Amino acid sequence: MRRTLTLAMVVVGIALAAVGYVSSAGWSAQTLADADPAFVAAPLLFVVGVVLMVGAAVVYELLPDRE
Amino acid sequence: MTSHDTRTRQLPQGVGRLTGPWWAFIAIASAVLLFGVYAYWRQASGGLGETALADTGTMGGATWGLYVVMVEYFIGVSFAGVAIAALARVFHIADLKPVTRIAELLTVGSLLVGLAAVLIDLGHPARGLWHLLLYARPQSAFFATFTLVGVGLLLASLVYLFLGGRRDAAIMATYESRLNWYHRWWASGYTDTGPERERHMRAMFWLSIGIVPLLVVSLSTEGLVFGLQVGRPGWFGSMQAPDFLVLAAASGVANLIVLAAMVRRALGKAGEAVESAFPWLGRILLAAALAGLYFMVVEMVSLLYATPADERLIAEALLTGVYAPITWLSFGLMLIGLAILTRLAAKRAWHVGPLVLASVLVSISAFAERYLTVVPSQTHGMLLPYEIGAYFPNWLEIAVGAGLFALGALLIGLFIKVFPAIPMTDEEEVSAHA
Amino acid sequence: MVKYAMAVDLDRCQGCRACMESCKVENNTVQGNFWMYVFRFEEGTYPNTEMSFLPRPCQHCDNAPCVKVCPVGARYKREDGIVLTDTDRCIGCRYCEVACPYGVNYFNWVEPKKAQYPVVNWEDEDLATVTSGAVPPYRNPDLDELQGPEQRHTAGGGHAKGVMEKCTFCVHRVDKGLDPACVATCPTNALIFGDTEDPDTPISRYLAEKRTWDLLEDAGTEPRVHYVGGSPPTHARVEIERPKARA
Repeated sequence: MRRTLTLAMVVVGIALAAVGYVSSAGWSAQTLADADPAFVAAPLLFVVGVVLMVGAAVVYELLPDRE
Repeated sequence: MTSHDTRTRQLPQGVGRLTGPWWAFIAIASAVLLFGVYAYWRQASGGLGETALADTGTMGGATWGLYVVMVEYFIGVSFAGVAIAALARVFHIADLKPVTRIAELLTVGSLLVGLAAVLIDLGHPARGLWHLLLYARPQSAFFATFTLVGVGLLLASLVYLFLGGRRDAAIMATYESRLNWYHRWWASGYTDTGPERERHMRAMFWLSIGIVPLLVVSLSTEGLVFGLQVGRPGWFGSMQAPDFLVLAAASGVANLIVLAAMVRRALGKAGEAVESAFPWLGRILLAAALAGLYFMVVEMVSLLYATPADERLIAEALLTGVYAPITWLSFGLMLIGLAILTRLAAKRAWHVGPLVLASVLVSISAFAERYLTVVPSQTHGMLLPYEIGAYFPNWLEIAVGAGLFALGALLIGLFIKVFPAIPMTDEEEVSAHA
Repeated sequence: MVKYAMAVDLDRCQGCRACMESCKVENNTVQGNFWMYVFRFEEGTYPNTEMSFLPRPCQHCDNAPCVKVCPVGARYKREDGIVLTDTDRCIGCRYCEVACPYGVNYFNWVEPKKAQYPVVNWEDEDLATVTSGAVPPYRNPDLDELQGPEQRHTAGGGHAKGVMEKCTFCVHRVDKGLDPACVATCPTNALIFGDTEDPDTPISRYLAEKRTWDLLEDAGTEPRVHYVGGSPPTHARVEIERPKARA
């Protein structure tokens, strides 16, 4: 359970950070005029991803053992 | 550590005991901070025009000044703290263990100060926070400052500090004190069983493994903030990132040594434990400062030997012109610091006094070096023939800067009165249960 | 697709700075800010001196360093080539200013207000007879309109404290089919503006006929302002007067 949840947080964190990063860059934009993030708050997604990755360490340590 | 009964003895390492010198320290730091807050209030209401900053070009000023210097300096300082802590944990360097918490604390404190300086430098700080979350672009080197440094590194350092302190928090929670609730909260159920220890070691190992590349990437981008600017003589170049890292390591270790020495003095007998770390820190500082000096010399030789026309103005300003006193001060202090460190290394006797002196000199040198990176390329680095500019921080910027420094000092000063600054040894734990 | 550009004929420029004046009036820029700036250079030593002039608007670069570094997309480039600042988006970090090799950015260091820099006494009655009592920054209603297909707040200056502003090629005029104010005002037709995608526009024909050079070509910024005649400036050229309101 502990390992699964930690691993899930890391994987989801990496995925969110990757999606957030690519979406923030707006590389698909045809011109610089619409070079805004692909969707509003894409950078927030990146940040949430980073938080999940770091937070995984806390969850790994703090999750109580199953009795 | 299985007992849950509370003890009435005094908390270790002076935690909870508010002494006269400590109050004096807090009073001075608070006064400086309050004056900084007043200065910032002046700036916030009147605008950045209250500072000595001005537009480059026709206005002949520097648009980035002391605040950006502080951003670069303090984010740089944060490098060494958590890196040393990671080093100690991953390689099990027992001699460095006593300073791991001070190192983590230094990282958290300097990151908070550095990030506060970012906000203070913005024309619209509140809008900055909000718009960065909504619209931040990875194409800008600032993206990493905001996401990797401001969130990733800060959070990772806090997690590092938190998880690394749970065992001590659990020991502290066995004492009867007004801080008991806080120590119980921090311990968050830690009982120091075998599986718990193993889990802790594993979590810290992976966190250390993850944090070092995060440090290198995020701090390299701080160098790239300048290194990617092709239109600014003196900035553009691939050396900015490694240069930033090397100076970050030197200034960070130097600050750590000073802080560790202060903690040693403040804690008296209990503080002597940090002494085992000084030879290590001294050697690391010697290596980092040597590398820093190497970068300085290479830069000077390049400036003196074959300077493109646009860079010549900056070279002259740095070596013989208006910035020459700062350049040679920085160079001289680094040399003296290195001489002291070399002597200590040769004698294999890392006395605290000279080591702290060398650290202070290296720190000041690094700060001056950051100033020389940020400012001259704006006042003397215009590619079009604008008249030469000028910038020197005014009282308001210096007051805000001092306030930021005091904020960091205050945070650390408060911390050591609510939590042990030095990780508790097994002997201390035994005495706690005696 | 329209692509705007400007040609600056240095053989025609007489350094009268009418473009600077018209820019300030049109865009309500605050004192000391020169979105259009004309260098007046002197080279050599007396009596063998030579004067030359160099108008310097924003270069509206195709590879704009300011657009690249803007952390929040406040500085952006329209499809028609105009580089603009969204003053509602700008957070005031001033990264665009340090990234720009041309020095065209001006930050609103204080709340834009009358007599921002105490160089000119706007209360002076004699001055009022010349300016009809007008004191910058006064409001041109067009400047508060949202501009272009992106509908962003980009036109004019003096909007708010703590944001960056710069030459917009008078986007509010261009979108109405007018020339930028500096171009419309130039008494010697040294400034030519228009669409370079259409080969029959005056600017296309002009650029096809003349040899042109770009300012700071080595910087790789690919400016949309092209110079005709004269020669690129060097540090050997000295400005003959200091701009007012310098630090």
